[in-house]
Order: sequence, then structure tokens, then C-alpha cells
Amino acid sequence: MLCQNCGRNEATTHIKRIVDGESSELHLCSGCAQHLGYAGMFSGFGSNIGTLLSRFFPETAMLPETEEERCPGCGATFDEIVRSGAMGCAECYDVFYDRLKPSLSRIHGRATHVGKTSATRDDRMERRAELRRLEEERNAAVQAEEYEKAAVLRDRIRELRGETK
Amino acid sequence: MTKWYMLSGKENDVAVSSKVSLARNLRDHVFTNRLSTEEKDQIADEVSAVIFEQLPEKFVLTHMNTLSRYAAISLAERDLVSPEFVSVQEGRSFLTTPDESLSLMICEEDHVKIQALLPGLELTRSYELADRLDTILDEALGFSFDNKLGYLTQCPTNIGTAMRGSVVLQLPAMRILGRIRHLSNTVSRLGLVLTGAYGEGDSPIGSLYLLSNQVTLGISEEAALGNLDSIALSIIEQEREARKELMENLQFQDMLWRSCGTLKSARVMSFQEFMEALSVVKIGIAAGEFDLPMNTVNELIFAMQPATLNTEAGEDLSRQERDALRAEKVRAVFADVQQ
Ligand SMILES: [Zn+2]
Ligand SMILES: [Zn+2]
Repeated sequence: MLCQNCGRNEATTHIKRIVDGESSELHLCSGCAQHLGYAGMFSGFGSNIGTLLSRFFPETAMLPETEEERCPGCGATFDEIVRSGAMGCAECYDVFYDRLKPSLSRIHGRATHVGKTSATRDDRMERRAELRRLEEERNAAVQAEEYEKAAVLRDRIRELRGETK
Repeated sequence: MTKWYMLSGKENDVAVSSKVSLARNLRDHVFTNRLSTEEKDQIADEVSAVIFEQLPEKFVLTHMNTLSRYAAISLAERDLVSPEFVSVQEGRSFLTTPDESLSLMICEEDHVKIQALLPGLELTRSYELADRLDTILDEALGFSFDNKLGYLTQCPTNIGTAMRGSVVLQLPAMRILGRIRHLSNTVSRLGLVLTGAYGEGDSPIGSLYLLSNQVTLGISEEAALGNLDSIALSIIEQEREARKELMENLQFQDMLWRSCGTLKSARVMSFQEFMEALSVVKIGIAAGEFDLPMNTVNELIFAMQPATLNTEAGEDLSRQERDALRAEKVRAVFADVQQ
């Protein structure tokens, strides 16, 4: 499909609009989307989900799928997330964090959250984040041949996982 | 019932409305793209139960699939829901206060989208309204949140505050003077985006533009809205300057009086024709040339929309009947304006 604005390039951005009392869709090439203000990474906020699909994961989409890891929360594989452009559930962020990271930092930079925080806490998510941190530390300790430190960390990991020592 | 857009707001010679939206997801459900229609309706039930119980305002719940096509599109015309939201009506629900200033879209892209809409430039107050509703729902239902990533959304681009603030600005003078392109380049360097509010392509209907924030991660709600507010104010000033320049110009004077004539006397008027004439006449009203309250003019932007007229006056109105009805209503408002 050709861009409705310039009529020359292939349309890659599809925006739902209301025109003259009817629902319609605007198809734009990336250049025109940029020039008309729809190319902002966040213009997808509810109004043009389709736009973001290909744009969000260009580099990760190229990676070959090594294993069929599924999110325990929703059953999604990383490949499914890339193809649909939508995360399956909140847990996906955690499970696929390492693979999301390049895209996240390309879009958001190195930023971390500032502002309002949820009053209720999700212990599950926090425990998982803590586990990830401890595992990284333990790997580093093993690498550095600090076996005593690694053993202490291993015990804490087991404890957090609810395993008996 | 008085709707929010009938009231007078700050800087309303240029700023038509301000909106703050918060995207949220319930912790105990997978994201919307993986939900069945039944599960979506269940979320609507959970959310509305809390709202009916804990909020002082009387909210009304509407399942979108019970609305006619025109009634659904009318919601989008009045900026209460997104065009995306009405593209599919199944499994989607909508909650609103009677004045429509506070509303929730359920199962659009995220489980819940909280929205507060006010006339004029009112970002801080809009945020307060949305924030209060968000806090109540969070305490009762629990939203997905991560300390580093903030509120977790279906699309990874919206994480963080998952907040979007926007202001609808009517910029006829800057458009006539060819200053929009430069303006939109400038605001994009400041982390904001300027798009046409209605219509397609380069020349949005009635010179209505939407200015909104882009960045959601690493900037607080307060800072993002403060930034948006100050840039909106500076654009409002630039538009006022541009209007003054135009008022000195004989060619524009001619255009102004002709546009006023159209509003006072046309018998059939498309939405586009109406909006173009209105945006020009607004410059004359702001300059004191015509005597009409600005909120009456701004109200027409919403009330004269095509599907909104159809919903109000009868679904089977033909296009020509609709355009005649619009002309009649507009004539009534402009009848006493001195020519
Ligand atoms: Zn194009
Ligand atoms: Zn998941």
C-alpha cells in the first residue's frame, strides 16, 4: 500500500482516525509520518498500535530464536511478543528483560522510573528482580574464584526461591 | 446536562481543551491482547464495582457493543475515546461522569485508561482528577508496576509514568502565516509532538492542533506536565502575536468578514467549512471585533461534529440534512453578532 500523503513510498504507519462521522485509517510512509508528527515513538499511545510493531524491535527481531522460553504468566514466547508488538503480561518484562533491553534503551535511553509509584507492591516481581541481581553477583564471584562469597550467595538464592538448604 | 466543554477555561482564545491520560494494567490479568471478550467484560465489572462504590461522582458504565455506530463515533469526536477504541466495539467498555470530564476506557490498548478533560489550559487540575481516580483503583485492584520501569504497559514505549498530557490548540493565525512547520520542528526538539487534531495530512480541520508529551520514562508527571504547560503558553503567546499581525492586514479583514457572513447566513454547511470559518472568526472575536463568549464558540467545535449531530438529531439524518441542521444551529448562535 502506498503512502496517502506523498503517494510514492510504501506505507508503514497506520493511524485510526475519525473523518466526517466515520472511522477511517490513514496510511503513511515513515517519512511522511515523521513530517506530520506521527512518528514520535509515543504517538502509539492508544491510537495507532500498528505503527509500533515493526519499529520497536528492528534489531532484536533479527536474532535467531535459540530456545522456546515461555513466560510463566501468560505463555508468550519472545518471538510472539516481537511479532505482535505487544507484551503478553507484566511478567514478560521480567522474563524477557535481557532481550528487551536493547530496544528499551534505544527508546527510553538509560532512564529509570521517576514519579508516582504504585501504592500496592508486587512481591513476585520484586523477588524476581532480587534473584536476578544475586545470580549476577554469584556468577561474578565464581568468575573471580571467590568461592566462599559464591556459596553465601547461592544459599541466599535458594532461600529466596523457597528451596531448603 | 452541562458538559465540560460548555464551560469557560483559561487561555481559551487559543487553548480549547486539556487532557491527561494514565494507562494502567491490573496485576492479576494478562494484557489486553491475550484476553477473551469474557475476561475483558470481567475487568469492566471489577473496575466499575470499585468506581461505583468509592467515588463520590456518579459514573455511568457503557458497554461499547450496545452503542450505535454514530453514538460510538460521537464519543471519539468529543475526544472521550480514541479512534482506535471505536474501531472495534466488542469487549470494550467506557465509564464516564455525566459532565464527561472524567472517564475511563476499559480494554483499549491497556486494561484501563483514565482520562481527565477540562476546557482551556488546565493540565495541573486535569492531572489531579486523574491521579485521584488512579490512586483509588490502585489501592483496590493493584496495578502492574516495577520500581525501575514504572507502570507496565502492553506497549513497551509507554512504560514509566504511562502518562500522556495533551492540549488542543487552535492556531489559525500561525497556520495562515505559514509558521506551523517551524513550530512543530521546534517542539519536537523539546520532547513534545504537535499533530493535527481532526482531519488528515498537512492541514488539519479548523487549524486545531494537539500538543502532547512524548517521554514517559525518567521524567515525573509533574515535570512532564510543567514542560508541556510552559511550551503551550509560549505557543499561545505566539498565536496571539500572529493574530495581531493579521488584524492589520486588509486581505485578512476581508476573509474575516466573509467568514462571519458564512456563519451568519449559510443554509448548508459541512463540518470542514464550518470549522474553517469558525477558526478565522475566532481571531475577530479575540480582537473584540465580534461580541460572543469564547466558550460558546469552543463548545460548537464539539457539538457540530458529524456523528455527534446524527446522534443528537436522529440516526437516519442524511448528509445534506445534517449539513442543513448544522447551518441552522450555527446561524442561531451567530444571529446577533453585529455585521
Ligand atoms: Zn509518504
Ligand atoms: Zn507474560
